[in-house]
Amino acid sequence: MRTIVERHHDCDVLIIGSGAGGATTAATLAEAGHDVLIVEEGTWVPQGSVTPFSLEQMEQQYRSGGVTVALGLPSIAYTEGRCAGGGTEVNSGLYRRPPGYTLERWRANYGIVDFATDDIESICDEVERALSVQTVPGEQTPASDILSRGAGALGWQHDEIPRWMTYPESGRAADGRRQSMTETYLPRALAAGARILTEHRLDRLVMHRSKALRAELTSTTDGERPVTISFRDVIVCGGAIQTPAMLQRSGMRHRIGRTLAVHPTVKLAARFDGEVNTPSDVAVIQVKEFAPEISFGGSASHPGLVALALTDNWRDFGHAVTAWPELVIYYAAITSEGRGLVQSVPGMRDPIVTYRLTRRDRDLLGRGLARLALVMLEADAIEVYPSFRGAPVVRSRRDLAAMTSAFSANNASVMTVHLCSTAPMGEDLRRCATDSFGRVHGTANVYVNDASLLPDAPGVNPQASVMAIAIRNARRFADERSG
Amino acid sequence: MTEPFMTLDPPDTTVITGAGGWLGTGLVASLADGAWARPGRLRLLVHDAEATRIEPSDRIDVVVGDITVPADVDRLFDGLSGAVDVLHTAGVIHPTSMTQFDAVNHRGTENIARAARRHGARRMVHVSSNSPFGTNPSRSDTFRNDEPYQPYLGYGSSKMDAELRILDAAEQGLDVVMVRPPWFYGPHQPARQTTFFTLVRTGRFPVLGDGGQRRSMVYIDNLVQGIVRAELTPTDPGLGWWIADARPYTVREIVETVGRAMRDEGFDVKVNRLRLPDVAGTVAERIDRTLQRSGRYNQQLHVLGEMNKTIAVDISAARRDLGYEPEVELYDGMRRSIRWCLDRGIEL
Repeated sequence: MRTIVERHHDCDVLIIGSGAGGATTAATLAEAGHDVLIVEEGTWVPQGSVTPFSLEQMEQQYRSGGVTVALGLPSIAYTEGRCAGGGTEVNSGLYRRPPGYTLERWRANYGIVDFATDDIESICDEVERALSVQTVPGEQTPASDILSRGAGALGWQHDEIPRWMTYPESGRAADGRRQSMTETYLPRALAAGARILTEHRLDRLVMHRSKALRAELTSTTDGERPVTISFRDVIVCGGAIQTPAMLQRSGMRHRIGRTLAVHPTVKLAARFDGEVNTPSDVAVIQVKEFAPEISFGGSASHPGLVALALTDNWRDFGHAVTAWPELVIYYAAITSEGRGLVQSVPGMRDPIVTYRLTRRDRDLLGRGLARLALVMLEADAIEVYPSFRGAPVVRSRRDLAAMTSAFSANNASVMTVHLCSTAPMGEDLRRCATDSFGRVHGTANVYVNDASLLPDAPGVNPQASVMAIAIRNARRFADERSG
Repeated sequence: MTEPFMTLDPPDTTVITGAGGWLGTGLVASLADGAWARPGRLRLLVHDAEATRIEPSDRIDVVVGDITVPADVDRLFDGLSGAVDVLHTAGVIHPTSMTQFDAVNHRGTENIARAARRHGARRMVHVSSNSPFGTNPSRSDTFRNDEPYQPYLGYGSSKMDAELRILDAAEQGLDVVMVRPPWFYGPHQPARQTTFFTLVRTGRFPVLGDGGQRRSMVYIDNLVQGIVRAELTPTDPGLGWWIADARPYTVREIVETVGRAMRDEGFDVKVNRLRLPDVAGTVAERIDRTLQRSGRYNQQLHVLGEMNKTIAVDISAARRDLGYEPEVELYDGMRRSIRWCLDRGIEL
């Protein structure tokens, strides 16, 4: 890896951000012979140098040390990776292709051209090879077994979700090594001649009419030193929160940051008879009986997060924290009809994010959490601690009635990790911020190529969709802008 | 009748509570000399001797009493010998006061289960409801057989408490199971259901929003089939099953189908024009909730408050465990109901 120190840089293609969108874009363009410079706000942390899902990782690889909050009632916490590789470095690595009906909905409702399902599927094939997407060859963690057992007892459909992981001889789930962007597409991009500038934050793109002329950046480590970059084209891949904020700071507004889509989740901690907690890994089973509207899965459960999950009713739940090896955290995620706003505010470093749940969303969260608690009881949980203020300890089905009557989404710790749709792509100008390939409408050389483009939430883990669409768009870009 | 499922012989005596009610009357008619006719004695508990349309005979005893009164419940089991099954259909859905919910649905069920155990009943079937589980969180959601309790208002809480007493009784050794019918329809209907037909005929049935809410319903004969199958198919105690028509209907489809059935029975049916905004249901529900909290109950508000909800259930567990197969769908069921009313000179 080459690190660059000059104050001014030149390149043909500037890529802002190195996550699932930016890294795949960089590799595709560099391998097609383009002169690529990647800018990343975070640092390069090699896989394996930090314990997955630990507080240390949150500190090093997440924005704001882990949790940021979208305002609203309830406020919704979300996380963003801020490091080379972005979210792929720190998330659970679960990989789901976009369902066919999702692709069809996007194509039809947003007027996306040249968006054949077969083409997306064949890019998914490539991505799966590049990331070694596979199921766990050996023993699964107790957290996975619990979901299988509970859903199985209810006759509810559940599946193992493959991950971008390689496994050593043992084949055990907890021994997997994440095939994130710093292990795959970023080294490929660098090997093909791309450069990367880490620890630099984009302040704005300087525009002249429809054309972006140069980028103004600030070093995050070196005394806030200003840096400028000249380019032919710029591709913004900062994720669904930072991308619209950067575009807004640069004067672009049309349909940008107005349609944030997320999969809101509520969670619970469940206690079992015996040690079940694997701090460095999450469950690979998802319960899909009620999909796409409601899905259940496992959350990171290191002791700090267990403590956090118990804080909603610390008086009644707090005693369980010392038994953390016997506890695992699970989530219920929903597809939301609500939408959020991302608004950059002059003088503030981070944008203001707001999100509003609809009544249906609230009902789904409540029913989802209750059904998840039922899965836990069927898996022989001794006690279940739902994460909302005033929640009772659930030990039996009878307690589920007390839990459902006490539930209110406003009192819940609602959280999301799947942020998207803040610069939707498509030809329908009333709904879309970019054209069918990510060029921002009304601009000549500003592109978006990350989760912001997904027209709405896909109902499954979105990073496969992000990578496939980014590679599709990058190929089109490489064909059109070569020479 | 599917042989592998119903392997128990009909009992020497079948005890039926709520025998004067809508479901009870239909159940007794079927067991006495209808589709599910059986040998042996039927012993019926009716709340009000004059309300029942069933004549006592050498096979049919009628006991007048109240399930909230333990002495009445004991009389129900007086002098019975041989195998006794209990089919518990008694309940109150539209009470005159809120305290009736708990007294009848909860404590009454507890009394019946206790007496059934004390008198050595062979098997008991408790008729529960969808209301302990509330309403679906979205229009496309469907209740699976096993759901967490989330009772809908006072009725739902009382029916949930009844289920919990049934589970207690099962733990204490009573062979008892539950069937859970949603909104049912069919012959033997009480007056409030006549209003339903009149509203459809005059085009004034309150459809909320676009009428796309889904509702499971059950034709009374389908429900009787479910009850008999649950009684005579040996299973673990404490289980429960949704018993409904084959699929949920949208409210729009219900109004359209009932209108068509009435037209085909010779009625002049007006096009339904009463479209209320969806929020009307929400408002009605809020008022109903507030009233119920202060111990009052208003039937119209309660029904309207539920109208914009989806209550859809999945019957695959009853098919699998009991061999249940609903034979009547909405159109045929409604035509039979209409004819039943016409035969009795009831004006719709």
